[in-house]
Amino acid sequence: MDTAAAITHQEKLRSSQAGTLWRTAAIARNAFREAVRDRVLYNLVLFVLLLTLVAIFIGELSGGQERKIIVDLGLSTMLLFGVFISIFVGVGLVYKEIERRTIYAIFSKPVSRGEFLIGKYLGLCLTLLVNVVVMGAGVSLALLYVGGRGESLALTIWPAIVLIYIELMIVTSVALLFSSFSSPALSALLTFLVFTIGHFSSDLKTLAGSMESTVARWLFTGLYYLLPNLSNYSYITPAAHGQAPTFANVLLALAYAAVYIIIIMAAATLVLSKRNFK
Amino acid sequence: MSGSNRKQLTLIAMIVFGLALVVVLSKSIDARRPPVDLVVEEERLYVNGNTAKRLSLSFNGLVADWYWMRSLQYVGRKVLTLPEGAMLDRLGSANLKLLPALLDTATSLDPQFMEPYEYGAIVLPVADVDAAIRLTKKGIAANPSAWRLYHHLGYIYWQRGDLATAAETYGAGGQIPGAPEWMTAMKAKMLADGGGRATAREIYSRMYEGSTDEKVKEMAQLRLLQLDAFDQIDILKKLLAPFKARTGRCPASWKELEPIFRARRVPVDGSGAPLDPAGTPYEFKPENCDVAVSYDSKIPVK
Repeated sequence: MDTAAAITHQEKLRSSQAGTLWRTAAIARNAFREAVRDRVLYNLVLFVLLLTLVAIFIGELSGGQERKIIVDLGLSTMLLFGVFISIFVGVGLVYKEIERRTIYAIFSKPVSRGEFLIGKYLGLCLTLLVNVVVMGAGVSLALLYVGGRGESLALTIWPAIVLIYIELMIVTSVALLFSSFSSPALSALLTFLVFTIGHFSSDLKTLAGSMESTVARWLFTGLYYLLPNLSNYSYITPAAHGQAPTFANVLLALAYAAVYIIIIMAAATLVLSKRNFK
Repeated sequence: MSGSNRKQLTLIAMIVFGLALVVVLSKSIDARRPPVDLVVEEERLYVNGNTAKRLSLSFNGLVADWYWMRSLQYVGRKVLTLPEGAMLDRLGSANLKLLPALLDTATSLDPQFMEPYEYGAIVLPVADVDAAIRLTKKGIAANPSAWRLYHHLGYIYWQRGDLATAAETYGAGGQIPGAPEWMTAMKAKMLADGGGRATAREIYSRMYEGSTDEKVKEMAQLRLLQLDAFDQIDILKKLLAPFKARTGRCPASWKELEPIFRARRVPVDGSGAPLDPAGTPYEFKPENCDVAVSYDSKIPVK
Protein backbone atom coordinates (compact mmCIF):
# COMPACT_ATOMS: atom_id res chain seq x y z
CA MET A 1 0.00 0.00 0.00
CA ASP A 2 1.49 3.38 -1.01
CA THR A 3 1.40 6.44 1.27
CA ALA A 4 -1.59 8.07 -0.44
CA ALA A 5 -3.61 4.89 -0.21
CA ALA A 6 -2.62 4.49 3.44
CA ILE A 7 -3.74 8.06 4.19
CA THR A 8 -7.04 7.53 2.39
CA HIS A 9 -7.53 4.29 4.31
CA GLN A 10 -6.81 6.05 7.62
CA GLU A 11 -9.15 8.93 6.76
CA LYS A 12 -11.90 6.46 5.85
CA LEU A 13 -11.29 4.63 9.12
CA ARG A 14 -11.39 7.90 11.06
CA SER A 15 -14.55 9.02 9.31
CA SER A 16 -16.12 5.62 9.88
CA GLN A 17 -15.13 5.77 13.57
CA ALA A 18 -16.63 9.27 13.81
CA GLY A 19 -19.72 7.96 12.03
CA THR A 20 -20.02 5.10 14.52
CA LEU A 21 -19.77 7.53 17.42
CA TRP A 22 -22.27 9.91 15.84
CA ARG A 23 -24.80 7.12 15.10
CA THR A 24 -24.40 5.58 18.57
CA ALA A 25 -24.86 9.00 20.17
CA ALA A 26 -27.98 9.63 18.07
CA ILE A 27 -29.52 6.31 19.16
CA ALA A 28 -28.54 6.99 22.79
CA ARG A 29 -30.16 10.44 22.63
CA ASN A 30 -33.34 8.92 21.26
CA ALA A 31 -33.40 6.16 23.87
CA PHE A 32 -33.05 8.84 26.58
CA ARG A 33 -35.84 10.94 25.02
CA GLU A 34 -38.04 7.89 24.79
CA ALA A 35 -37.47 7.10 28.49
CA VAL A 36 -38.38 10.68 29.39
CA ARG A 37 -41.48 10.49 27.15
CA ASP A 38 -42.42 7.23 28.87
CA ARG A 39 -42.38 9.17 32.18
CA VAL A 40 -39.64 6.99 33.63
CA LEU A 41 -38.28 9.97 35.56
CA TYR A 42 -41.61 10.38 37.36
CA ASN A 43 -40.20 8.02 39.98
CA LEU A 44 -38.13 11.01 41.14
CA VAL A 45 -41.29 12.74 42.39
CA LEU A 46 -42.12 9.69 44.50
CA PHE A 47 -38.55 9.58 45.77
CA VAL A 48 -38.53 13.25 46.76
CA LEU A 49 -41.87 12.85 48.57
CA LEU A 50 -40.56 9.80 50.42
CA LEU A 51 -37.37 11.56 51.49
CA THR A 52 -39.23 14.68 52.60
CA LEU A 53 -41.57 12.63 54.75
CA VAL A 54 -38.70 10.64 56.21
CA ALA A 55 -36.63 13.75 56.95
CA ILE A 56 -39.56 15.33 58.78
CA PHE A 57 -41.01 12.38 60.65
CA ILE A 58 -38.33 9.73 61.13
CA GLY A 59 -36.79 11.52 64.13
CA GLU A 60 -39.84 10.53 66.17
CA LEU A 61 -39.42 6.84 65.40
CA SER A 62 -35.71 6.25 65.15
CA GLY A 63 -34.33 7.25 68.54
CA GLY A 64 -32.08 9.96 67.10
CA GLN A 65 -30.87 7.89 64.15
CA GLU A 66 -32.50 9.95 61.39
CA ARG A 67 -29.21 10.65 59.55
CA LYS A 68 -28.34 6.97 59.27
CA ILE A 69 -31.89 6.09 58.25
CA ILE A 70 -32.01 8.83 55.61
CA VAL A 71 -28.81 7.45 54.05
CA ASP A 72 -29.94 3.81 54.27
CA LEU A 73 -33.41 4.55 52.94
CA GLY A 74 -32.28 7.06 50.33
CA LEU A 75 -29.50 4.94 48.83
CA SER A 76 -31.47 1.68 49.07
CA THR A 77 -34.41 3.30 47.29
CA MET A 78 -32.00 4.69 44.70
CA LEU A 79 -30.70 1.17 44.06
CA LEU A 80 -34.17 -0.40 44.08
CA PHE A 81 -35.75 2.18 41.74
CA GLY A 82 -32.66 2.00 39.55
CA VAL A 83 -32.84 -1.79 39.32
CA PHE A 84 -36.54 -1.60 38.42
CA ILE A 85 -35.80 0.95 35.69
CA SER A 86 -32.83 -1.10 34.43
CA ILE A 87 -34.90 -4.24 34.28
CA PHE A 88 -38.27 -3.04 33.08
CA VAL A 89 -37.04 -0.39 30.66
CA GLY A 90 -33.94 -2.38 29.67
CA VAL A 91 -35.83 -5.51 28.64
CA GLY A 92 -38.14 -3.45 26.41
CA LEU A 93 -35.43 -1.52 24.59
CA VAL A 94 -34.90 -4.02 21.80
CA TYR A 95 -38.24 -5.80 22.05
CA LYS A 96 -40.27 -2.62 21.54
CA GLU A 97 -38.39 -1.80 18.34
CA ILE A 98 -39.09 -5.30 17.01
CA GLU A 99 -42.73 -5.23 18.14
CA ARG A 100 -43.35 -1.84 16.50
CA ARG A 101 -41.33 -2.94 13.49
CA THR A 102 -39.27 0.27 13.73
CA ILE A 103 -36.16 -1.89 13.84
CA TYR A 104 -36.49 -2.40 10.04
CA ALA A 105 -36.34 1.34 9.51
CA ILE A 106 -33.25 1.57 11.71
CA PHE A 107 -31.40 -1.28 10.08
CA SER A 108 -32.28 -0.05 6.60
CA LYS A 109 -29.95 2.85 7.42
CA PRO A 110 -26.18 2.42 7.77
CA VAL A 111 -26.49 1.42 11.45
CA SER A 112 -24.85 -1.76 12.64
CA ARG A 113 -26.50 -3.97 15.23
CA GLY A 114 -23.66 -3.28 17.66
CA GLU A 115 -24.14 0.50 17.29
CA PHE A 116 -27.86 0.06 17.82
CA LEU A 117 -27.38 -1.98 21.02
CA ILE A 118 -24.67 0.24 22.48
CA GLY A 119 -26.71 3.34 21.65
CA LYS A 120 -29.74 1.93 23.41
CA TYR A 121 -27.57 0.91 26.36
CA LEU A 122 -25.96 4.34 26.69
CA GLY A 123 -29.35 6.02 26.42
CA LEU A 124 -30.69 4.05 29.35
CA CYS A 125 -27.46 4.64 31.28
CA LEU A 126 -27.97 8.38 30.74
CA THR A 127 -31.53 8.09 32.09
CA LEU A 128 -30.17 6.24 35.12
CA LEU A 129 -27.44 8.84 35.58
CA VAL A 130 -30.00 11.65 35.72
CA ASN A 131 -32.05 9.56 38.13
CA VAL A 132 -29.11 8.77 40.42
CA VAL A 133 -27.72 12.32 40.43
CA VAL A 134 -31.11 13.88 41.28
CA MET A 135 -31.76 11.26 43.94
CA GLY A 136 -28.26 11.72 45.39
CA ALA A 137 -28.79 15.47 45.55
CA GLY A 138 -32.14 14.81 47.29
CA VAL A 139 -30.48 12.61 49.92
CA SER A 140 -27.73 15.22 50.48
CA LEU A 141 -30.32 17.98 50.88
CA ALA A 142 -32.36 15.88 53.33
CA LEU A 143 -29.16 15.27 55.33
CA LEU A 144 -28.36 18.98 55.36
CA TYR A 145 -31.92 19.70 56.51
CA VAL A 146 -31.63 17.22 59.39
CA GLY A 147 -27.96 17.68 60.32
CA GLY A 148 -27.36 21.34 59.50
CA ARG A 149 -24.77 22.93 57.22
CA GLY A 150 -21.81 21.04 58.65
CA GLU A 151 -23.30 17.63 57.85
CA SER A 152 -20.35 15.66 56.44
CA LEU A 153 -22.50 12.69 55.38
CA ALA A 154 -23.99 14.88 52.63
CA LEU A 155 -20.61 14.59 50.88
CA THR A 156 -19.25 11.24 52.04
CA ILE A 157 -22.19 9.31 50.57
CA TRP A 158 -21.20 10.19 46.98
CA PRO A 159 -18.59 7.43 46.44
CA ALA A 160 -21.27 4.92 47.48
CA ILE A 161 -23.64 6.56 44.97
CA VAL A 162 -21.01 6.14 42.25
CA LEU A 163 -20.82 2.43 43.10
CA ILE A 164 -24.62 2.15 42.94
CA TYR A 165 -24.57 3.70 39.49
CA ILE A 166 -21.90 1.26 38.30
CA GLU A 167 -23.98 -1.63 39.64
CA LEU A 168 -27.00 -0.31 37.71
CA MET A 169 -24.89 -0.14 34.54
CA ILE A 170 -24.06 -3.83 34.94
CA VAL A 171 -27.71 -4.78 35.58
CA THR A 172 -28.78 -2.77 32.51
CA SER A 173 -26.30 -4.61 30.30
CA VAL A 174 -27.58 -7.95 31.60
CA ALA A 175 -31.19 -6.89 30.88
CA LEU A 176 -30.18 -5.88 27.37
CA LEU A 177 -28.42 -9.21 26.78
CA PHE A 178 -31.52 -11.19 27.78
CA SER A 179 -33.82 -8.92 25.81
CA SER A 180 -31.78 -9.55 22.67
CA PHE A 181 -33.04 -13.13 22.48
CA SER A 182 -35.95 -13.52 24.90
CA SER A 183 -39.41 -12.15 25.68
CA PRO A 184 -39.67 -9.13 28.05
CA ALA A 185 -41.27 -11.17 30.87
CA LEU A 186 -38.62 -13.87 30.78
CA SER A 187 -35.83 -11.32 30.37
CA ALA A 188 -37.08 -9.39 33.42
CA LEU A 189 -37.21 -12.57 35.47
CA LEU A 190 -33.74 -13.69 34.38
CA THR A 191 -32.23 -10.26 35.02
CA PHE A 192 -33.77 -10.14 38.47
CA LEU A 193 -32.32 -13.58 39.18
CA VAL A 194 -28.87 -12.42 38.07
CA PHE A 195 -29.24 -9.35 40.33
CA THR A 196 -30.18 -11.58 43.27
CA ILE A 197 -27.48 -14.20 42.64
CA GLY A 198 -25.00 -11.37 42.07
CA HIS A 199 -25.40 -10.46 45.72
CA PHE A 200 -24.85 -14.08 46.78
CA SER A 201 -21.69 -14.41 44.71
CA SER A 202 -19.38 -14.81 47.68
CA ASP A 203 -21.58 -17.70 48.86
CA LEU A 204 -20.97 -19.46 45.54
CA LYS A 205 -17.24 -19.32 46.22
CA THR A 206 -17.73 -20.67 49.76
CA LEU A 207 -20.00 -23.37 48.38
CA ALA A 208 -17.40 -24.34 45.80
CA GLY A 209 -14.78 -24.60 48.54
CA SER A 210 -16.98 -26.88 50.65
CA MET A 211 -17.87 -29.30 47.81
CA GLU A 212 -16.27 -32.72 47.77
CA SER A 213 -17.02 -33.45 44.12
CA THR A 214 -14.50 -31.93 41.73
CA VAL A 215 -17.16 -31.35 39.07
CA ALA A 216 -19.39 -29.48 41.53
CA ARG A 217 -16.41 -27.48 42.74
CA TRP A 218 -15.56 -26.48 39.17
CA LEU A 219 -19.20 -25.72 38.44
CA PHE A 220 -19.63 -23.36 41.39
CA THR A 221 -16.23 -21.76 40.87
CA GLY A 222 -17.18 -21.23 37.22
CA LEU A 223 -20.49 -19.67 38.23
CA TYR A 224 -18.70 -17.43 40.71
CA TYR A 225 -16.54 -15.98 37.95
CA LEU A 226 -19.26 -16.02 35.30
CA LEU A 227 -21.94 -14.14 37.23
CA PRO A 228 -21.35 -10.50 38.16
CA ASN A 229 -20.26 -10.08 41.76
CA LEU A 230 -22.57 -7.23 42.70
CA SER A 231 -21.54 -7.31 46.36
CA ASN A 232 -18.46 -5.37 45.14
CA TYR A 233 -20.82 -2.42 44.83
CA SER A 234 -22.67 -2.76 48.17
CA TYR A 235 -21.44 0.21 50.13
CA ILE A 236 -24.71 1.61 51.42
CA THR A 237 -24.39 0.40 55.02
CA PRO A 238 -20.82 1.66 55.58
CA ALA A 239 -21.80 4.94 53.87
CA ALA A 240 -24.50 5.43 56.50
CA HIS A 241 -21.69 5.35 59.10
CA GLY A 242 -19.73 8.01 57.25
CA GLN A 243 -17.27 5.56 55.67
CA ALA A 244 -16.27 5.88 52.04
CA PRO A 245 -14.64 3.21 49.86
CA THR A 246 -10.99 3.82 49.07
CA PHE A 247 -10.10 5.30 45.70
CA ALA A 248 -8.39 2.03 44.75
CA ASN A 249 -11.58 0.10 45.60
CA VAL A 250 -13.71 2.35 43.41
CA LEU A 251 -11.18 2.11 40.60
CA LEU A 252 -11.05 -1.70 40.78
CA ALA A 253 -14.85 -1.92 40.92
CA LEU A 254 -15.00 0.37 37.90
CA ALA A 255 -12.48 -1.76 35.98
CA TYR A 256 -14.39 -4.95 36.87
CA ALA A 257 -17.65 -3.37 35.68
CA ALA A 258 -16.06 -2.09 32.45
CA VAL A 259 -14.71 -5.53 31.58
CA TYR A 260 -17.98 -7.20 32.51
CA ILE A 261 -20.10 -4.75 30.54
CA ILE A 262 -17.87 -5.11 27.46
CA ILE A 263 -18.24 -8.91 27.64
CA ILE A 264 -22.03 -8.72 28.00
CA MET A 265 -22.48 -6.12 25.27
CA ALA A 266 -20.28 -8.20 22.96
CA ALA A 267 -22.41 -11.25 23.70
CA ALA A 268 -25.63 -9.25 23.17
CA THR A 269 -24.34 -7.91 19.84
CA LEU A 270 -23.38 -11.42 18.80
CA VAL A 271 -26.85 -12.74 19.65
CA LEU A 272 -28.61 -9.85 17.92
CA SER A 273 -26.45 -10.14 14.83
CA LYS A 274 -27.54 -13.79 14.50
CA ARG A 275 -31.22 -12.87 14.67
CA ASN A 276 -33.22 -12.84 11.51
CA PHE A 277 -35.82 -10.05 11.46
CA LYS A 278 -37.48 -11.12 8.22
CA MET B 1 -74.75 19.96 32.45
CA SER B 2 -73.42 17.75 29.68
CA GLY B 3 -73.56 13.97 29.86
CA SER B 4 -69.78 13.74 30.14
CA ASN B 5 -69.65 16.14 33.12
CA ARG B 6 -72.49 14.29 34.83
CA LYS B 7 -70.60 11.04 34.39
CA GLN B 8 -67.44 12.56 35.89
CA LEU B 9 -69.35 13.96 38.86
CA THR B 10 -70.96 10.58 39.46
CA LEU B 11 -67.55 8.91 39.45
CA ILE B 12 -66.09 11.50 41.87
CA ALA B 13 -69.12 11.07 44.14
CA MET B 14 -68.61 7.31 44.06
CA ILE B 15 -64.94 7.71 45.06
CA VAL B 16 -65.74 10.11 47.93
CA PHE B 17 -68.62 7.96 49.14
CA GLY B 18 -66.49 4.84 48.86
CA LEU B 19 -63.67 6.40 50.92
CA ALA B 20 -66.14 7.47 53.60
CA LEU B 21 -67.53 3.94 53.67
CA VAL B 22 -64.01 2.51 54.03
CA VAL B 23 -63.46 4.70 57.13
CA VAL B 24 -66.76 3.55 58.67
CA LEU B 25 -66.05 -0.10 57.93
CA SER B 26 -62.46 0.14 59.26
CA LYS B 27 -63.72 1.62 62.52
CA SER B 28 -66.29 -1.12 62.79
CA ILE B 29 -63.68 -3.85 62.17
CA ASP B 30 -61.25 -2.24 64.67
CA ALA B 31 -64.00 -2.15 67.32
CA ARG B 32 -64.61 -5.87 66.88
CA ARG B 33 -60.93 -6.87 66.76
CA PRO B 34 -60.16 -9.45 69.47
CA PRO B 35 -57.50 -8.49 72.03
CA VAL B 36 -53.94 -9.26 70.92
CA ASP B 37 -52.96 -12.80 71.75
CA LEU B 38 -49.82 -12.52 73.90
CA VAL B 39 -48.50 -15.84 72.62
CA VAL B 40 -48.79 -14.67 69.04
CA GLU B 41 -47.42 -11.22 69.83
CA GLU B 42 -44.36 -12.65 71.56
CA GLU B 43 -43.75 -15.32 68.92
CA ARG B 44 -40.10 -15.81 68.18
CA LEU B 45 -38.69 -14.12 65.08
CA TYR B 46 -38.85 -16.28 61.97
CA VAL B 47 -35.39 -15.42 60.76
CA ASN B 48 -32.23 -14.94 62.76
CA GLY B 49 -29.77 -12.15 62.11
CA ASN B 50 -27.49 -14.07 59.75
CA THR B 51 -30.37 -15.33 57.61
CA ALA B 52 -31.86 -11.85 57.50
CA LYS B 53 -28.50 -10.52 56.34
CA ARG B 54 -28.39 -13.00 53.46
CA LEU B 55 -31.96 -12.31 52.44
CA SER B 56 -31.58 -8.55 52.52
CA LEU B 57 -29.17 -8.44 49.51
CA SER B 58 -27.66 -4.93 49.47
CA PHE B 59 -30.35 -3.53 51.72
CA ASN B 60 -29.00 -4.84 55.04
CA GLY B 61 -28.54 -1.33 56.47
CA LEU B 62 -32.16 -0.48 55.75
CA VAL B 63 -33.40 -3.77 57.20
CA ALA B 64 -31.24 -3.13 60.30
CA ASP B 65 -32.95 0.27 60.67
CA TRP B 66 -36.32 -1.46 60.45
CA TYR B 67 -35.37 -3.94 63.20
CA TRP B 68 -34.01 -1.05 65.29
CA MET B 69 -37.24 0.92 64.98
CA ARG B 70 -39.19 -2.25 65.68
CA SER B 71 -37.15 -2.68 68.91
CA LEU B 72 -38.02 0.88 69.95
CA GLN B 73 -41.71 0.35 69.14
CA TYR B 74 -41.67 -2.96 71.03
CA VAL B 75 -40.23 -1.34 74.16
CA GLY B 76 -42.52 1.67 73.69
CA ARG B 77 -45.60 -0.56 73.63
CA LYS B 78 -44.40 -2.33 76.80
CA VAL B 79 -43.75 1.01 78.54
CA LEU B 80 -47.37 2.00 77.87
CA THR B 81 -48.51 -0.96 79.98
CA LEU B 82 -46.41 0.23 82.97
CA PRO B 83 -47.20 3.04 85.44
CA GLU B 84 -46.30 6.49 84.12
CA GLY B 85 -42.67 7.55 84.49
CA ALA B 86 -41.18 4.04 84.27
CA MET B 87 -37.42 4.33 83.79
CA LEU B 88 -35.70 2.88 80.74
CA ASP B 89 -33.31 0.88 82.94
CA ARG B 90 -36.08 -0.47 85.18
CA LEU B 91 -38.46 -2.20 82.78
CA GLY B 92 -38.14 -5.59 84.49
CA SER B 93 -41.88 -6.14 84.84
CA ALA B 94 -42.46 -5.37 81.16
CA ASN B 95 -41.48 -8.85 79.88
CA LEU B 96 -39.12 -7.86 77.08
CA LYS B 97 -38.82 -11.40 75.73
CA LEU B 98 -38.35 -10.42 72.09
CA LEU B 99 -35.95 -7.54 72.62
CA PRO B 100 -32.70 -9.60 72.67
CA ALA B 101 -33.62 -11.23 69.33
CA LEU B 102 -34.62 -7.89 67.76
CA LEU B 103 -31.41 -6.14 68.81
CA ASP B 104 -29.32 -9.16 67.85
CA THR B 105 -30.84 -9.17 64.36
CA ALA B 106 -30.35 -5.41 63.95
CA THR B 107 -26.67 -5.70 64.89
CA SER B 108 -26.09 -8.80 62.75
CA LEU B 109 -27.43 -6.87 59.76
CA ASP B 110 -25.29 -3.84 60.55
CA PRO B 111 -22.53 -4.69 63.04
CA GLN B 112 -21.33 -1.07 63.13
CA PHE B 113 -24.71 0.23 64.22
CA MET B 114 -23.79 1.40 67.77
CA GLU B 115 -27.15 2.50 69.13
CA PRO B 116 -28.67 -1.00 69.50
CA TYR B 117 -25.65 -2.02 71.61
CA GLU B 118 -26.09 1.01 73.86
CA TYR B 119 -29.83 0.48 74.11
CA GLY B 120 -29.29 -3.20 74.88
CA ALA B 121 -26.78 -2.37 77.61
CA ILE B 122 -29.28 -0.11 79.32
CA VAL B 123 -32.65 -1.80 78.77
CA LEU B 124 -31.77 -5.49 78.50
CA PRO B 125 -30.04 -6.23 81.84
CA VAL B 126 -33.32 -6.23 83.81
CA ALA B 127 -34.84 -8.72 81.36
CA ASP B 128 -31.83 -10.87 80.47
CA VAL B 129 -28.45 -9.73 81.71
CA ASP B 130 -26.62 -12.54 79.88
CA ALA B 131 -28.20 -11.45 76.59
CA ALA B 132 -27.09 -7.88 77.31
CA ILE B 133 -23.51 -9.03 77.93
CA ARG B 134 -23.58 -11.25 74.83
CA LEU B 135 -24.84 -8.41 72.64
CA THR B 136 -22.23 -5.95 73.90
CA LYS B 137 -19.41 -8.49 73.52
CA LYS B 138 -20.62 -9.15 69.98
CA GLY B 139 -20.35 -5.41 69.35
CA ILE B 140 -16.81 -5.34 70.74
CA ALA B 141 -15.82 -8.27 68.50
CA ALA B 142 -17.20 -6.47 65.43
CA ASN B 143 -15.85 -3.03 66.40
CA PRO B 144 -12.64 -3.62 68.36
CA SER B 145 -11.71 0.05 68.32
CA ALA B 146 -15.03 1.27 69.77
CA TRP B 147 -14.07 2.10 73.36
CA ARG B 148 -17.64 3.21 74.11
CA LEU B 149 -18.80 -0.41 73.93
CA TYR B 150 -16.43 -1.20 76.83
CA HIS B 151 -18.14 1.61 78.74
CA HIS B 152 -21.52 -0.07 78.07
CA LEU B 153 -20.19 -3.49 79.10
CA GLY B 154 -18.60 -2.02 82.24
CA TYR B 155 -21.96 -0.39 83.03
CA ILE B 156 -23.74 -3.76 82.80
CA TYR B 157 -21.23 -5.40 85.17
CA TRP B 158 -21.42 -2.41 87.53
CA GLN B 159 -25.24 -2.62 87.53
CA ARG B 160 -25.14 -6.26 88.56
CA GLY B 161 -22.57 -5.53 91.27
CA ASP B 162 -19.63 -7.31 89.62
CA LEU B 163 -17.25 -4.46 90.36
CA ALA B 164 -14.03 -6.37 89.66
CA THR B 165 -15.12 -7.31 86.12
CA ALA B 166 -16.50 -3.81 85.58
CA ALA B 167 -13.11 -2.34 86.57
CA GLU B 168 -11.32 -4.79 84.30
CA THR B 169 -13.64 -3.86 81.40
CA TYR B 170 -13.11 -0.12 81.87
CA GLY B 171 -9.37 -0.78 82.05
CA ALA B 172 -9.45 -2.76 78.77
CA GLY B 173 -11.48 0.00 77.11
CA GLY B 174 -9.02 2.61 78.36
CA GLN B 175 -6.19 0.81 76.50
CA ILE B 176 -7.82 1.39 73.11
CA PRO B 177 -6.19 4.18 71.10
CA GLY B 178 -8.40 7.25 71.20
CA ALA B 179 -10.20 6.23 74.40
CA PRO B 180 -10.61 9.13 76.85
CA GLU B 181 -8.57 9.19 80.02
CA TRP B 182 -11.62 8.86 82.21
CA MET B 183 -12.00 5.23 81.08
CA THR B 184 -8.74 4.33 82.83
CA ALA B 185 -9.61 6.56 85.77
CA MET B 186 -12.93 4.74 86.00
CA LYS B 187 -11.09 1.47 86.56
CA ALA B 188 -9.41 2.88 89.66
CA LYS B 189 -12.64 4.52 90.83
CA MET B 190 -14.53 1.27 90.37
CA LEU B 191 -12.00 -0.62 92.47
CA ALA B 192 -11.90 2.04 95.20
CA ASP B 193 -15.56 3.08 95.36
CA GLY B 194 -17.49 0.84 92.98
CA GLY B 195 -20.80 1.00 94.85
CA GLY B 196 -20.53 4.68 95.79
CA ARG B 197 -22.38 7.68 94.47
CA ALA B 198 -19.25 9.27 93.00
CA THR B 199 -18.83 6.31 90.64
CA ALA B 200 -22.52 6.32 89.75
CA ARG B 201 -22.35 10.06 89.05
CA GLU B 202 -19.35 9.58 86.79
CA ILE B 203 -21.03 6.73 84.87
CA TYR B 204 -24.29 8.60 84.30
CA SER B 205 -22.49 11.84 83.42
CA ARG B 206 -20.45 10.03 80.76
CA MET B 207 -23.56 8.29 79.50
CA TYR B 208 -25.39 11.61 79.24
CA GLU B 209 -22.50 13.24 77.38
CA GLY B 210 -21.92 10.36 74.98
CA SER B 211 -25.40 9.17 74.05
CA THR B 212 -27.28 10.34 70.98
CA ASP B 213 -30.51 8.66 72.07
CA GLU B 214 -32.85 11.13 73.76
CA LYS B 215 -34.43 8.43 75.95
CA VAL B 216 -31.03 7.30 77.21
CA LYS B 217 -30.04 10.92 77.86
CA GLU B 218 -33.27 11.48 79.76
CA MET B 219 -32.68 8.36 81.84
CA ALA B 220 -29.08 9.40 82.64
CA GLN B 221 -30.24 12.91 83.55
CA LEU B 222 -32.89 11.57 85.92
CA ARG B 223 -30.35 9.25 87.54
CA LEU B 224 -28.04 12.26 88.05
CA LEU B 225 -30.91 14.22 89.61
CA GLN B 226 -31.63 11.22 91.80
CA LEU B 227 -28.02 11.22 93.01
CA ASP B 228 -28.33 14.95 93.79
CA ALA B 229 -31.56 14.20 95.64
CA PHE B 230 -29.87 11.46 97.68
CA ASP B 231 -27.13 13.95 98.65
CA GLN B 232 -29.77 16.50 99.65
CA ILE B 233 -31.65 13.89 101.69
CA ASP B 234 -28.44 13.21 103.63
CA ILE B 235 -28.19 16.94 104.40
CA LEU B 236 -31.87 17.11 105.41
CA LYS B 237 -31.37 14.18 107.75
CA LYS B 238 -28.40 15.97 109.30
CA LEU B 239 -30.64 18.99 109.91
CA LEU B 240 -33.30 16.81 111.45
CA ALA B 241 -30.89 15.22 113.93
CA PRO B 242 -30.15 18.37 116.06
CA PHE B 243 -33.87 19.24 116.12
CA LYS B 244 -34.62 15.76 117.44
CA ALA B 245 -31.78 15.99 119.96
CA ARG B 246 -32.99 19.39 121.16
CA THR B 247 -36.72 18.64 121.41
CA GLY B 248 -36.63 14.88 121.91
CA ARG B 249 -39.10 14.35 119.08
CA CYS B 250 -39.46 14.46 115.38
CA PRO B 251 -40.95 17.60 113.82
CA ALA B 252 -44.69 17.18 113.12
CA SER B 253 -44.22 18.69 109.68
CA TRP B 254 -41.67 20.50 107.52
CA LYS B 255 -43.14 23.80 108.81
CA GLU B 256 -41.24 23.44 112.10
CA LEU B 257 -37.93 23.30 110.22
CA GLU B 258 -38.69 26.12 107.80
CA PRO B 259 -36.56 28.77 109.64
CA ILE B 260 -33.56 26.43 109.51
CA PHE B 261 -34.10 25.81 105.82
CA ARG B 262 -34.41 29.51 105.14
CA ALA B 263 -31.25 30.23 107.11
CA ARG B 264 -29.42 27.54 105.09
CA ARG B 265 -30.99 28.76 101.84
CA VAL B 266 -32.57 25.38 101.17
CA PRO B 267 -35.25 25.94 98.50
CA VAL B 268 -38.75 25.40 99.98
CA ASP B 269 -42.31 25.57 98.72
CA GLY B 270 -45.23 27.56 100.23
CA SER B 271 -45.77 25.02 103.00
CA GLY B 272 -42.10 25.16 103.99
CA ALA B 273 -41.28 21.75 102.53
CA PRO B 274 -37.82 21.45 100.94
CA LEU B 275 -37.82 20.87 97.21
CA ASP B 276 -35.95 18.15 95.35
CA PRO B 277 -33.87 19.03 92.23
CA ALA B 278 -36.96 18.49 90.07
CA GLY B 279 -38.95 21.03 92.14
CA THR B 280 -41.22 18.55 93.99
CA PRO B 281 -41.37 18.66 97.82
CA TYR B 282 -39.57 15.84 99.60
CA GLU B 283 -41.79 13.40 101.45
CA PHE B 284 -41.44 13.63 105.22
CA LYS B 285 -42.29 10.59 107.34
CA PRO B 286 -42.72 11.85 110.95
CA GLU B 287 -43.40 8.34 112.27
CA ASN B 288 -39.75 7.28 111.76
CA CYS B 289 -38.28 10.75 111.16
CA ASP B 290 -37.27 9.83 107.65
CA VAL B 291 -37.07 11.77 104.35
CA ALA B 292 -37.58 10.35 100.86
CA VAL B 293 -38.12 11.43 97.28
CA SER B 294 -41.85 11.82 96.72
CA TYR B 295 -43.67 9.44 94.37
CA ASP B 296 -45.09 12.60 92.77
CA SER B 297 -41.62 13.68 91.68
CA LYS B 298 -40.28 12.85 88.24
CA ILE B 299 -37.09 11.75 89.99
CA PRO B 300 -37.17 7.96 90.47
CA VAL B 301 -37.61 6.85 94.08
CA LYS B 302 -35.43 3.75 93.58
